[in-house]
Amino acid sequence: MALKILTVDDSKTIRLIVTKAFKPFDCDVLEAANGVEGLAIASRERPNIIILDITMPIMDGYETLTKLKSDPELKSIPVIMLTAEAGRETVMKIAKLGVRDYLVKPFKEELVVERVSRVIDLRPKGAATNRVKRFDDPLTLLVVDDKPAICEQIKAGLGDTKWTIVGRAQNGEVIDFCTQTTPDCILLSLSLPDDAGFTLFQMLRASVKTKSVPIFGLCVKTAAEEQARSQQIGFNGVITKPIDFDDLKAKIARALNLDTSYKFFQMRDGMLIMSVPVNFNTAVVNEISLHLRPKVAAAVDAGLDKMVIDLSLLKTADITLVKLVLDAIQLCHELALKQWIIGSEAVVTVCRNYEESKDWRFVSSFEEVLAPKVDANLASAK
Amino acid sequence: MIDDVNTLVTSAVREVFDTMLNLRLDPVEFDDKALSEGTHIASAVGFIGRLTGVVYIYSSEAFARRITAALLGLAPAEIDGDEMVNDAMGEISNMVVGQIKSRLSDRGLPCTLTIPSIVRGSNFTIEAVTSTVRWVACFRSADQQEQLLIETMIKPL
Repeated sequence: MALKILTVDDSKTIRLIVTKAFKPFDCDVLEAANGVEGLAIASRERPNIIILDITMPIMDGYETLTKLKSDPELKSIPVIMLTAEAGRETVMKIAKLGVRDYLVKPFKEELVVERVSRVIDLRPKGAATNRVKRFDDPLTLLVVDDKPAICEQIKAGLGDTKWTIVGRAQNGEVIDFCTQTTPDCILLSLSLPDDAGFTLFQMLRASVKTKSVPIFGLCVKTAAEEQARSQQIGFNGVITKPIDFDDLKAKIARALNLDTSYKFFQMRDGMLIMSVPVNFNTAVVNEISLHLRPKVAAAVDAGLDKMVIDLSLLKTADITLVKLVLDAIQLCHELALKQWIIGSEAVVTVCRNYEESKDWRFVSSFEEVLAPKVDANLASAK
Repeated sequence: MIDDVNTLVTSAVREVFDTMLNLRLDPVEFDDKALSEGTHIASAVGFIGRLTGVVYIYSSEAFARRITAALLGLAPAEIDGDEMVNDAMGEISNMVVGQIKSRLSDRGLPCTLTIPSIVRGSNFTIEAVTSTVRWVACFRSADQQEQLLIETMIKPL
């Protein structure tokens, strides 16, 4: 549900400026022209925050705030005063009434957004409803390091992705960049001079645009103190140099919740195909396992009744693979899907050696699966 | 009595126009013919308390439309009717006088602002009653296209 911001101001101009300021964010701005209207809307809509003027006809901001704070149902709604009156006595008076913050007119729109975002979790519009990003989608990765070679190394290491790698060396450059473009992920050197990396982390977390962007620390394996500090203050993780790019990709994929299932699952020719890649290892098996149940359920939901487990690319097999295939077969039986296993000769031979897989019936190609005379692997349903 | 009223006014006008409109206004010599032609808008905000008075902000209708458009991030042609302009000019006055009021308040002269009011017309003047002291400040935009007149009237303590 979108956040609700209530602006209470007798000036339509101010209400329009406030509404415009929050347009890029996933929230609804409600408007009231005086305190009476404001209280009525607050009772009805229960906004997440109220931006309240002081000088208004019918009921002014002081009286509105007093009534809000004396209502058990409404008193917990945070209030920010937005007022043209900034004298000491005004500030003291509103502080006593329990406001969360106050802003003085004239004001910049960005300042209102920044103050409100300190109180409620503002997110850019569409962030919550966007489709899940895939690993092969274009992403922007910001690398903050004063050594240009590191950025070049990361560009080369991630060259097989569609990601754009942007390098910046100074904090000011990073802030300028993030003002224009919100990166999807940030790799931040923990060894910048004068603790600049840690200072920058705090600045990025304080900004509404970057507060939710995953930030990984970048340092050498032996920098234990920096790694511990980064974890204490809330970095999403640490990437150690020399960089293991498979590990980096996996960490970024997890942090951004990227969909990698397309690498292993596809629906075509009326069936769900689960393909195990040639370079399978425990991490790959775990990744496939993670997607297995939702993908099979989605296939059944889409009206499919067949599943093919394609092991044809593999040169060998092991017990982790056998367990994965057993899970897939079990799931197929739970959901009444027929299943076939395509295996290379090497895989077939290895599988004959395991008790769990010695009775599996393999086919050698998709054509065999599509041929009506071939029975599904019902024997493995035990 | 306050001896730096026009300094307070200049500081407030610059702060408001620079922050809200990104428009620089410079003080210029008072030109009494500035409001003699065309339709003008006068927006007024009063203050009542230890110090009582009123501040009028005069501008041409064209400048008021330009101010409104800049405030709302619209093109002047998109301004729909006088009400929008009146509201924007009232709010600008509220901010200018709010700034002045805050400085007076910090000097031990607390007061409360009134709701803005707007007068439209041509070739009009505001006369001060004899018991008030009057200051006039005149501003021009950096491009010399527009003029703003601020008239402050305060009742002596």
